[in-house]
Amino acid sequence: MSQAQTRSTGSRNLFRVIVTDIHFWIPFTVLVGGLLLLDKLR
Amino acid sequence: MTSFSSTGRIATTATPSPLPAIRRRRLQALGIFCGFAAGAWLGGAEAPIKVVNPDISPVTISLIMVCGVFLARWSVPALIRGTSHVRNDVRQAPHLIVWAVLAGCMWAVANTLTIYAIRNVGLSIAFPLWNTNSLLGIFWGFLLFNELHHAGWKRWLGVLGGAVCMFGGATLLAIASSHQAAPGKASLGILAALGAGILWGTMYIPYRKAYLTGMNPLSFITFFTVGELATMTVLAIAYRGATPLWHEIVGARTVLFWLMLGGFVWVLGDLFQQYATKYVGISRGIPLSNTNQLWGLLWGILVFHELRGGSQTVYAQVAGGSLLMALGALAIALSSATEREHSSWQDAANREGQRYGVEGEYVHAGMEGREMTSKETSGRDAGMQSDAIANARTLLDWLLILGTTALFAVLAIMAKLPHMDIALGWAISLAVAMLALLATCGIALWRTTRFR
Repeated sequence: MSQAQTRSTGSRNLFRVIVTDIHFWIPFTVLVGGLLLLDKLR
Repeated sequence: MTSFSSTGRIATTATPSPLPAIRRRRLQALGIFCGFAAGAWLGGAEAPIKVVNPDISPVTISLIMVCGVFLARWSVPALIRGTSHVRNDVRQAPHLIVWAVLAGCMWAVANTLTIYAIRNVGLSIAFPLWNTNSLLGIFWGFLLFNELHHAGWKRWLGVLGGAVCMFGGATLLAIASSHQAAPGKASLGILAALGAGILWGTMYIPYRKAYLTGMNPLSFITFFTVGELATMTVLAIAYRGATPLWHEIVGARTVLFWLMLGGFVWVLGDLFQQYATKYVGISRGIPLSNTNQLWGLLWGILVFHELRGGSQTVYAQVAGGSLLMALGALAIALSSATEREHSSWQDAANREGQRYGVEGEYVHAGMEGREMTSKETSGRDAGMQSDAIANARTLLDWLLILGTTALFAVLAIMAKLPHMDIALGWAISLAVAMLALLATCGIALWRTTRFR
């Protein structure tokens, strides 16, 4: 496998691990909620 | 033990020997000291902003401050350790870039919400509401990162009681220092303040995640600020429009220095807050940093004569609120983590390290506030090598340091101090106190952890 392919696989794996981490979805959901609230306040 | 993590990277999870009690106590004391220093510098950041003309829109003020924050967050790490450390940290834990940017986005949205909160319900209601972030921080610390596990009822009482005490003190201070009547749209203002508190309280999840896996606060903040500046720029353009925003910034050129200085001072406070979070956790570090309200009040009363001619009730509220906050902070400072609680933190750190494939030695070195040493180089050689790396500066570092200094010098030449009644003697005294805290805490950080 070339270095570029290894890097791409590594990034995909990393992304998969982050999105399957429940800890990620807590701040992410709160951020989306904050943006929606901000939109309502404008 | 060597295993493949979820990322496919090799994770070495050798069981660490427990941290010696003397080292654990030293790191705890350092974290608590950093929490108090953070309070002083975060509170002091309000001072330069007070000299700014209130005609400038809050979103523009926030954007200019964030520009100062951005410059400080790249130049201060370059000055202290050099940006090569950032590259090393990213190589070890690349997932933390995503977490840092996410935290930065949350900060920017929360900061903008506070502007709406103050506008709709006034500072006296808004400040205590968003200050609930420390209670939420305690909750997340307990739930997700094993903080206060096996801590015993005395420490629980110290931390939770201290945080509630500080909340009560903050409420009294906010009522005393507020001169704004609450206009209409109260429910939206309360929602905005609560939203800011929830965003800031939840923002500590990425903080703790980063520090449990050994990342250096100086590296974390460089990526944090990318999310912060990008979100703030998008919000400012969306709210003001690109051309009006540009005209407003150009029109405000005489106060750009003060606003960016406010951002710079804030970064130093935030840096201490990050170290406090790292060494005493979010459940203790965040409430201690919230003593910033006391410092903000000191600047307001002593330097800007804010409560001059106030009634006896107002002064009683200030005295009572300050005392409550100080007692709460003391209770938290005396509730340091026990050995059993610290070992629960290590369990959480091992879990994170294994999930993201971070080298075990890197995780443990980070938690213990020391440089990771290669197994091939041992003892004195390794220590000398670490020190040599710590002192290394690249051309990029010098460009960052000199560029930021030059920009601040130009802005300072353009700056004008508005005609205000300022007690210069008190301003110098408070600035000296802050600098003394910066120097002593900085030296303590250097001696104990080499800014790890």
